[in-house]
Amino acid sequence: MTWVEFSYLIPIIPFIAFLIVAFFGNKMKEGGAPVTIAAVATTFVLSVLVLFDVIENGSYETSMNWIAGTGLEVGIYIDSLTALMLIVVTFVSLMVSIYSLGYMHDDPCKRRYYAEIALFVGSMLGLVLANNFLLMFIFWELVGVCSYLLIGFWYQKPAAASAAKKAFLVTRIGDVLFLTGIAMLYVKFGTLNFVELEHLMGHDVQGLLLPALLLFAGAVGKSAQFPLHVWLPNAMEGPTTVSALIHAATMVKAGVYLVARSYFILEHVPDAFLIIAIIGGITALMAATMALVQYDIKGVLAYSTISQLGYMMLALGAGAHAFGYTAGMFHLMNHAFFKALLFLAAGSVIHAVGSNDMRKMGGLHKHMKITSITMLIGSLSIAGFPFMSGFFSKDEVLSSVWHAAADNNIYYVLYAMGVITAFLTAFYMFRLWYMTFSGEQRDKSYHPHESPKTMTIPLMLLAILAAGAGFSFFFGFQDFIYFGHAPHVTIVHMFEMWQTWLSIAAGLGGIGLATLVYYKGTISPSTFTAGPGRRAVRHMLEMKYWMDEIYMGIAEKGVYGLSLLMDKFDRNVVDGAINGISSGGIGLGHASNEFDKGVIDGAVNGLSKGSFKGGKALWNLQSGRVQDYASMMILGVCGLIVLMMLTGVIS
Amino acid sequence: MNYLILLPQIILVAIAMLIPAIDLYFKDKTRILPYLAAGALGVSLLILSIFTGIIPLEIFDVTIPTSLFGGMLVVDRFALFLQLLFGMVTFFVVMASSSYIKQYDRNQGEYYSLLLIATVGMMTVAMANDLITLFIGLEVASISSYALTGFRKNSKKSAEAAMKYFIIGALSSSIVLYGISLFYGLTGTTDLAQFGTQLQNIDPSQDGLLAMATIFLIAGFSFKVAAAPFHMWAPDVYQGAPTTITTFLAAASKKMGFAALFKVFLFGLIAFKADWAIAFGVMAALTMTVGNLAALKQEDLKRMLAYSSIAQAGYIMMALAIATQYALGGALFHILTHAFMKTGAFIIVAMLSVMLIGSKVGDLRGLRIKSPITAFCMAIMMLSLAGIPPLAGFASKFVLFSSAIDAGGWLIWLAVVAVINSAISLYYYARVLKEMYVLPTDHIPIRMKEPLAMLIPVVLTTAAVIIVGLYPEPFIDAAMDAARALIP
Repeated sequence: MTWVEFSYLIPIIPFIAFLIVAFFGNKMKEGGAPVTIAAVATTFVLSVLVLFDVIENGSYETSMNWIAGTGLEVGIYIDSLTALMLIVVTFVSLMVSIYSLGYMHDDPCKRRYYAEIALFVGSMLGLVLANNFLLMFIFWELVGVCSYLLIGFWYQKPAAASAAKKAFLVTRIGDVLFLTGIAMLYVKFGTLNFVELEHLMGHDVQGLLLPALLLFAGAVGKSAQFPLHVWLPNAMEGPTTVSALIHAATMVKAGVYLVARSYFILEHVPDAFLIIAIIGGITALMAATMALVQYDIKGVLAYSTISQLGYMMLALGAGAHAFGYTAGMFHLMNHAFFKALLFLAAGSVIHAVGSNDMRKMGGLHKHMKITSITMLIGSLSIAGFPFMSGFFSKDEVLSSVWHAAADNNIYYVLYAMGVITAFLTAFYMFRLWYMTFSGEQRDKSYHPHESPKTMTIPLMLLAILAAGAGFSFFFGFQDFIYFGHAPHVTIVHMFEMWQTWLSIAAGLGGIGLATLVYYKGTISPSTFTAGPGRRAVRHMLEMKYWMDEIYMGIAEKGVYGLSLLMDKFDRNVVDGAINGISSGGIGLGHASNEFDKGVIDGAVNGLSKGSFKGGKALWNLQSGRVQDYASMMILGVCGLIVLMMLTGVIS
Repeated sequence: MNYLILLPQIILVAIAMLIPAIDLYFKDKTRILPYLAAGALGVSLLILSIFTGIIPLEIFDVTIPTSLFGGMLVVDRFALFLQLLFGMVTFFVVMASSSYIKQYDRNQGEYYSLLLIATVGMMTVAMANDLITLFIGLEVASISSYALTGFRKNSKKSAEAAMKYFIIGALSSSIVLYGISLFYGLTGTTDLAQFGTQLQNIDPSQDGLLAMATIFLIAGFSFKVAAAPFHMWAPDVYQGAPTTITTFLAAASKKMGFAALFKVFLFGLIAFKADWAIAFGVMAALTMTVGNLAALKQEDLKRMLAYSSIAQAGYIMMALAIATQYALGGALFHILTHAFMKTGAFIIVAMLSVMLIGSKVGDLRGLRIKSPITAFCMAIMMLSLAGIPPLAGFASKFVLFSSAIDAGGWLIWLAVVAVINSAISLYYYARVLKEMYVLPTDHIPIRMKEPLAMLIPVVLTTAAVIIVGLYPEPFIDAAMDAARALIP
């Protein structure tokens, strides 16, 4: 007996917790929080056990038919990738749900919160464990629904409600394309099972580009890649804990996971790799620039997430030969730890300040030391400070892109974009940290205080991982998570490469510049906006490259114009047909309305007075009069005779 | 001959005879009668489960299939499947009745007694292998249900419904009987097993007569299943009858009509499939469309569910047009899931009237606070009826529709109509959800107490709907086994 045999419990436990909390949460402490936390903790323990099993025995699959004879199957597939995702998702979710005890303590709708969190985690775990694309898609949609519910958790706020809708609609574009891709795969191969598909791949790799790109389109939506990244910054309207969950563990990681999971398809279509890498590179750089001008503490982190997801995609797009797979997933893991840490620390700050605006903060270090130091660790990690986890993974990402450049020169450009992104990342993160924690408190209207233990303990645990998880790469990670062949990178080897020193320089340069501007004050921030050219750049960044406006334009002008066109087409061409059908529909609706009237009247009047409205009853089929029903039956018999004559049974 | 196989029916008849006597002698009947009826049903369900092998005990020495009375009754997998279903529905109805009927204290004996007798009638139809036994079973069940519909003697609605049901029922019985006599005249037999061979030999000049006989049987049985255009009685009767009886009519009695149709057409007349399949196809499309369109506008929950039942009958009727083993299996599976869904939904409606909430769709507003568990169960039933995965209604519709696509030809269009209809139906099912969960209430609703005897069947059927949806395989297997008994 091995633990993987119980892996089906991993998604089921949170679902049960969801039901319990949803129905009985109000009667429990903290709106059912203990149930959710216990459920997530159990899945974490199970995930760890499963990880050990997978390390020992390799991958595992089990499945059963959902509906016999139709090929719809429900099953679990666990390999090293799944095992890694399970650990990341359950650990971060556990930290977030414990942290929520403090953060959500005063919220009146705690029951709903904890129920939805459990559902969210359960859906994500189901997505990760699914053994075929269809099942994965079902959970994929569930994750989408949960993100909608949680982003709009404070639905009384118009901003939150519209952010939820935006997230749902924008990702929906990707979802539809993803589903189309799944359908194409099914038509081509007749199965959606990962293992079976992988076998079939060997024989027939023609015409895979389009389905591969459609799968990636799903990931573009879910993982907020350019050009569908616009939903993620708004998604921070939800509680900060939810942002942490979405950004670090559940929602956006689903897209990256999908790309990694589809690697066995992608490896046959090198063009798809290139497109993924380009999209990733653009996303990474573009989001990093937009983060520079944010004053909202969560806004900075949101753009930073988009940028880092771009990094992961960039690495995955580096291809199968250049250990991009290992690098991308390694960055995914590290990012989960430090981004969860940063969001939760930001939440702790917001909890104390009562606002997201960094211009009101400053000097918080002396009031909330734990938050400040853990956030510093997170910032150092994401900035790529040597020997922090982010340093190793970022370096692997860039190094894999450099390797890929041996085949295609475009990767050199992408590498350069990656290095610039690294510099910008370090700069905006330290801008955030200095503006929040150093100097003097700019708005004196509040009295900051350190957050309760339920909030600081998860911060400290995450900080340990954000700092130290990077070393795991050399102690097993690269031999566990790989596609094709494992990379063999040693620390010594790393520092022999000039690329490593370049990325260290980029990181330290960013930190240094931020120190000069926002700590020492040697350079005034206004230097960056002096002159019309620089102001225009700033304006462009503040307007987020006008992406939202472009989409609104498309939606308003384009869709509206299209509908006008359709309307004309309708009126002129299909007019008659539509009119016919609609008047038929109206007639039917009318008739059924009359049914009601007729019968209720009939019932009130009773059989004795059943002859109401005699003449009109001809129109009212459902008159309530039994005579009419009987005549209708005889008519039906006649109708059957006519039908039989028409079909030639009666000649 | 092994009469042991009739033990479930014998028990039911015996208790049905006993109940009126007890009714006379005991004062506090509300307690004893439902328990007695439920007990009888429980025991026969147990025995049936042992027969079918669901409970793996070999205490009865029976073989399946068993033929009785010179082949007039045959107990095969098909019969057992439906008998279990009828028994189960009646069991739930009896449970719910113990709270519902309390208000109309008089004549309780006949209520439970008639319910049991109607069940035996339906079980007989499932076993019938001869038009005569089939007809007898049909009449036993029908006449009992006329009386049950009129159980509220002092309610005009109930009396009117019973009267309508009786008149239309009598008309359809006479049509069926006419059809049977024509068949007898043509073949000299009423034995369904011999129909195929006997009809091959008839003179070609008699073809018209054969077609008429077929039409009469189609028309007569279509009344029972409330297929359009023979459906018009159903909304009136479902609305007027006591809601527990409505449950019984929708979830069990209607399925008896299908049992009869399957027996006669998919077993007796299968060789002449080409002659009647198209008629069923047209009726199926018509029935689901009429049912769904009319349901859109209904404000009364019982009427809405009645039209929804009509629409569902249209889906099931597809199997008669497809006439393959797979389709029949799908239809039987859908009959099973539909029985769960409609039992649950109608008992919820009965419960709402006992709780004095009302039976309009609009009365559901605020139910999520008044009774969260009821609201949840209702939501599951509605979603399942609309065919949302992973609930039972989805699984069975999926099998049924895919059997049409498998069969190919014009049946694909039938599947298309069915899918479009499913989409339309989502509108009125979703409306129920919207009333319960989305729309704000005028005044703050208070948590109410549910009658336990009704809540139990509701929760059980909801659980069944979820379980069957998540793990349909054993249920599909059972339905396919039953189908194999008719179409080898």
